[in-house]
Amino acid sequence: MMGDMPAASSGATASGEAAASTAAASTAGASATGAELADLLRRSARGDETAFAALYDATSRRLFGLVLRVVRDHAMSEEVTQEVYLDVWRHCARFDPQRGSAISWLMTIAHRTAVDRVRASEASRRRDDAHAATQQDVEFDTTAESAQASLEAQRVRRALTTLTDAQRSAVELAYLGGYTHTEVARLLDLPLGTAKTRIRDGLIRLRDTLGVPA
Amino acid sequence: MSPDLHHLSGAYAVDALDDAERASFEQHLAGCADCRAEVAELSATAGSLASLAETTPPPSLRASVLSGIAQVRPIPPPTENVAAPADDDEPDAGGTVVPIRRRPRTAWFAAAAAAAVIAIGGLAWSPWSDDTGSQSPMAQVTAAADAMTVSTTKDGATAEVAYSKQLAKAAISVTGMPPAPDGMTYQLWYVGQGGTATPAGLLGVDAEGSGQALLTGQATPTDKVAMTVEPAGGSAQPTTDPLVVLSLA
Repeated sequence: MMGDMPAASSGATASGEAAASTAAASTAGASATGAELADLLRRSARGDETAFAALYDATSRRLFGLVLRVVRDHAMSEEVTQEVYLDVWRHCARFDPQRGSAISWLMTIAHRTAVDRVRASEASRRRDDAHAATQQDVEFDTTAESAQASLEAQRVRRALTTLTDAQRSAVELAYLGGYTHTEVARLLDLPLGTAKTRIRDGLIRLRDTLGVPA
Repeated sequence: MSPDLHHLSGAYAVDALDDAERASFEQHLAGCADCRAEVAELSATAGSLASLAETTPPPSLRASVLSGIAQVRPIPPPTENVAAPADDDEPDAGGTVVPIRRRPRTAWFAAAAAAAVIAIGGLAWSPWSDDTGSQSPMAQVTAAADAMTVSTTKDGATAEVAYSKQLAKAAISVTGMPPAPDGMTYQLWYVGQGGTATPAGLLGVDAEGSGQALLTGQATPTDKVAMTVEPAGGSAQPTTDPLVVLSLA
């Protein structure tokens, strides 16, 4: 999504992109900085398989984890993850560091692919499990707090506490659950059309809390 | 630009719009720098949530990924206004991803006043167009086991339709398309055997001339998929001759 955005032309856009880069750079994970990931992508675009392997090693826990969260089925998650990396490999040259960070680009692609796959092929089954999924979300939030949780995860978890419960549930169900805003509204008993506002308000607060300069 | 579209930025950033909303918001995005900036920020923010879900993948996945990429060549950086060679960038048979080739933007639009009925094109598996941001509608359809695609190229613009009988769904991907004229939009239709047109949603085309959409409603094998230019917001029935007509079977 970010890779194909037309070049910034207004001041507002330019500052927005700077903010996005800052937010995303801090999410790059412990193993590689944003600049390192961008460099790995650049080398991969020239066919450097070693660089791509390093990119995989630096990002696969987060990428696979997200896909698994959305898709749930382990085998299908592996399939989707492989598809995402293959697509990333093919389209490395389209990554533009001016328009966002490498990790954000990867996660955007992974999320879109996972969501599309789950909606296309598992729609009915997942809808039946909707309430179970809500339960799992709650459970996840308490159990994932472990010694393994990265510093970044702790920071994000803290930032999430600044959201209202409604915002937080809406953001989590939409992003980690892969639900449409209509489904989120239904799951949270919100009037149709309000979930998208909650999602946006929640993301904006999260963005501001995660340290994006004003 | 309509203010009611701006507040979709958050839902768009987390892929929480349905297909029709996504298509119409992408059309809005193409012309709204503020929304593009906000989407970029909110996408990056949402991406940080993935740190809550980190899971080590099985080692076999690493091997599969690395052996998979070894068989596929990265696509070179996009070049503007240079036609891709006609046939020599087809991926080898081992690849699972066939990109839709970039074509230079041309006067297809003007030239296509006459209806163009196009024969079924080649078969391709295309979860990804040139436009990374709108790969999804095609991917949704091509994810089905029985998915097939038909495509056509006319005066440098390419249209590809994916269809799954199992899902009863069709998606379209275009590249090299000029933007719809001011106040106009591309609209999609199912055209039944008797020539009856059923509205199937709008198609947004970005600044690079690419766009994808999942057609609304049910696709049946006897349908054709057509695209026309209509006043913004779409029409109940086509008011111009179709630019593209592709048969689903």
